[in-house]
Amino acid sequence: MKADYDVIVVGAGPGGSFAAKKAAKAGASVLLIDRRKELGAPVRCGEGLGSHWLDELGLKVSPKAISAEISGSVLYSPNMKREVKIQNPETRGYVIDRKVFDKDLAIDAGRAGAEVIAKTEVYEVIKKDGKVCGVKANCAGDKFEANCKVLIAADGGESTIARMAGIDSTATLYDTDFGIEYEMVNVDCQDLIEIYFSKSAAPRGYVWVFPKGKDVANVGVGIGGLEQGNAVEYLDRFIKNNKRFEGAQTVAIKGGLIPVGEPLKELVADGLMIVGTAAHQVDPIHGGGMALAMEAGGIAGEVAAKCAAEEKTDKKSLYEYESIWRKKVGPKLMRRLRLRKVLEKLDDNDFNAIFENLTDKDLDELIKGDYKPVVQKVLFKRPQLLKVLSALL
Amino acid sequence: MFIIEELKGVSLIKIDRHRCIYCGACVGVCPKLALILKETFVEYDEKKCINCGMCAKACPMKAIDFKK
Repeated sequence: MKADYDVIVVGAGPGGSFAAKKAAKAGASVLLIDRRKELGAPVRCGEGLGSHWLDELGLKVSPKAISAEISGSVLYSPNMKREVKIQNPETRGYVIDRKVFDKDLAIDAGRAGAEVIAKTEVYEVIKKDGKVCGVKANCAGDKFEANCKVLIAADGGESTIARMAGIDSTATLYDTDFGIEYEMVNVDCQDLIEIYFSKSAAPRGYVWVFPKGKDVANVGVGIGGLEQGNAVEYLDRFIKNNKRFEGAQTVAIKGGLIPVGEPLKELVADGLMIVGTAAHQVDPIHGGGMALAMEAGGIAGEVAAKCAAEEKTDKKSLYEYESIWRKKVGPKLMRRLRLRKVLEKLDDNDFNAIFENLTDKDLDELIKGDYKPVVQKVLFKRPQLLKVLSALL
Repeated sequence: MFIIEELKGVSLIKIDRHRCIYCGACVGVCPKLALILKETFVEYDEKKCINCGMCAKACPMKAIDFKK
């Protein structure tokens, strides 16, 4: 280990490892730090990844990291009377094995030239004249200090690093969902992601079944932070009330927080970049964060390497990452956030009525971000939703 | 605010390590960084804690007890 690096990345999840790899490939000296003894574990995720991301991110996924191939999604109405499917080339994807996938990404970063150290916890962010310039860490019992030109905080939902650096990235109960998930065997699955909408089963969230094979699935629920009770109570109830899970056995318990509001107002500070779930870069509709984290991490890594080489790592210079990211992802994310805000206002009766008239084609349009035709159709049948739905027109 | 000041240092938070799956949800919502995720447990600093109870509300496993 050295005393000085161009870039230090904290957190070897998809965002952090991607950032480390890109920065190393761009010629920077990089240190990638993770608290855990084994990168990838424990998993805190539904593990779904759309296959279009592979091209967009230039990502290769090893066959070992793929648990199941998915052809699309099926959404169920709260009364379970209607199901709407979406299956097309764009909805194809994988349910991956994050333990393998994450480790592969860290291996990629190591191969690209980054130094990787596991079981290392950062306990202090070093600042000089207000600028982030290194970390104090504990590597399996040995304390050390390392300096850097750019620190990339990619430490997930805890977002401890950004807060140690003085950025308030605390998750609020209002803008966060809390999820729990059982990986279960003896659950019959198709090659479809199943989503169950219901205010009673998952207030301000949803229940999911992500197949990991013919008879294995991640079964989970996420609920809004201000709702009654805790997520595990909702999941246990859903499983108990559903005959399908009678013989199911749990082989893993996963959980975590899911920021579903806006991304942080500022993603950079002097000497600091924040990436992925730590920056609340999460899809507000389905709560997925992997792909967005890798996309942001890739941009951050490249900009960090460039700024370090030019010895210009103040906030203004690092803002290039934020600016590229916002331009690329911002409009789509904001549109989806608007949809979420509307969905939050609907009750189960509204959902049942909407599902009654919703076709597979409508869903396709909704997902593509074209809300107008669906909203018009719904309003025709349920004009009382005008006020709520007008936000989407 | 007065009540919170009064209670400073008196912990109302109890983490059940047997239930905890160390997912870090409580850490993410703690406004005072009183909770830090170690590898397989959450370290709790009651001196920093303001007893807001946010962690107990957030915990998806219901592993944190918060009694007023």
